[in-house]
Amino acid sequence: MAYSMGSKDVRRMRRILLELLDRSEADACVVCDQAGHVLAEEGLESQDPHLMSALGAGVFAATRELAGLLGENEFSSVVHQGTRRSILICAVDEQSLLLVIFGTSANLGLVKLYASPAAAAMRSVLDRVRARSEEETAPPGHTFVLRQGAPLFGAGK
Amino acid sequence: MAFVNYESREIQLKIVYYGPALCGKTTNLQTIHRMVSDDSKGSLTSLATAQDRTLFFDFMPLVADAVEGFQTRFQMYTVPGQVMYNMTRRLVLRGVDGLVFVADSQWDKMPENVESFKNLEENLRLQSDDIEALPCVFQYNKRDLSNVAPRHYLDFLLNNRRVRRPAVEGVATEGRGVFETLNMIAKLVLLKFIREYSGKQVEDARLVLA
Ligand SMILES: Nc1nc2c(ncn2[C@@H]2O[C@H](COP(=O)(O)OP(=O)(O)OP(=O)(O)O)[C@@H](O)[C@H]2O)c(=O)[nH]1
Ligand SMILES: [Mg+2]
Repeated sequence: MAYSMGSKDVRRMRRILLELLDRSEADACVVCDQAGHVLAEEGLESQDPHLMSALGAGVFAATRELAGLLGENEFSSVVHQGTRRSILICAVDEQSLLLVIFGTSANLGLVKLYASPAAAAMRSVLDRVRARSEEETAPPGHTFVLRQGAPLFGAGK
Repeated sequence: MAFVNYESREIQLKIVYYGPALCGKTTNLQTIHRMVSDDSKGSLTSLATAQDRTLFFDFMPLVADAVEGFQTRFQMYTVPGQVMYNMTRRLVLRGVDGLVFVADSQWDKMPENVESFKNLEENLRLQSDDIEALPCVFQYNKRDLSNVAPRHYLDFLLNNRRVRRPAVEGVATEGRGVFETLNMIAKLVLLKFIREYSGKQVEDARLVLA
């Protein structure tokens, strides 16, 4: 199975993320799925979105299990607060997460307040993406062509 | 589950190294990271105990120019092999596209190899995946040691299925078999992706990578 996003989906997601950053005064955000794949990102400087997704998905999944141990259905969000930078991780849906990175100029309450409608908007975009992927494979007329030749990876290459 | 972004022209695929404790999963990624060129790799992040045992996972992105017009990004993970970390193994397995099962070739590790493989099957079942439907490569590791079982015995023990999977003999610490394993699983994952996602049967011959 695979699912895919086209430029329309990407534009919609970008709009949602930019609005979230604008309103909440957060610095950056990443949307990832439970496999740790990066679906969208906005505002990151030097941080690697893929590593952030892998770790974020791990943290959130572990937290979910903790919630289960406490008899909670779910913690809807996780916050890690630092002295200069903090991160909010919240569920978009069963399969994806929104990570918001913010500094001291932003306020946790506001970040949470705006993250929630952003996650909801994101959910509807991703629902559409997934519904489409159920019925369709690659866009009509598109074929993927593997490159021929040498092995993909090797020492020094 | 593979993910394609047509806007950034990127395909993301997830490969997980599985196997019993101390069989050499982390060593495989470390060796790849040490040897592969800088522009193919991201940093290797290990969430490990003070004794260098994997606690949560190791993670390293690898990029390749495998599909015309797209960047192919392989997200490489290892699971913790210690029996008690099963919940973490399940988390890491989510959305997996391809598996490398690293077995420890030493005779006295056979029960652990079998146990770990059963555990893999069980964890896949729990997330509605089927080992028969997933690309999988075996690596019989630690072939440099003296007390190792012959290859055909490992095949008989672990790879005795309807469709036999490729198996590679390895010495992960020295790099032997490491790239052979990696290229094999990458190729199988790509072939499956293209076959399913392009929605039609493609001739294998046209797609041979190596
Ligand atoms: N002799 C020999 N030792 C190896 C080989 N591969 C790995 N080792 C050693 O085996 C030990 C464990 O290797 P790791 O890569 O940490 O094992 P792991 O599978 O990641 O273990 P967990 O994280 O606990 O699941 C290390 O001391 C390695 O140096 C090999 O091919 N031959
Ligand atoms: Mg390890």
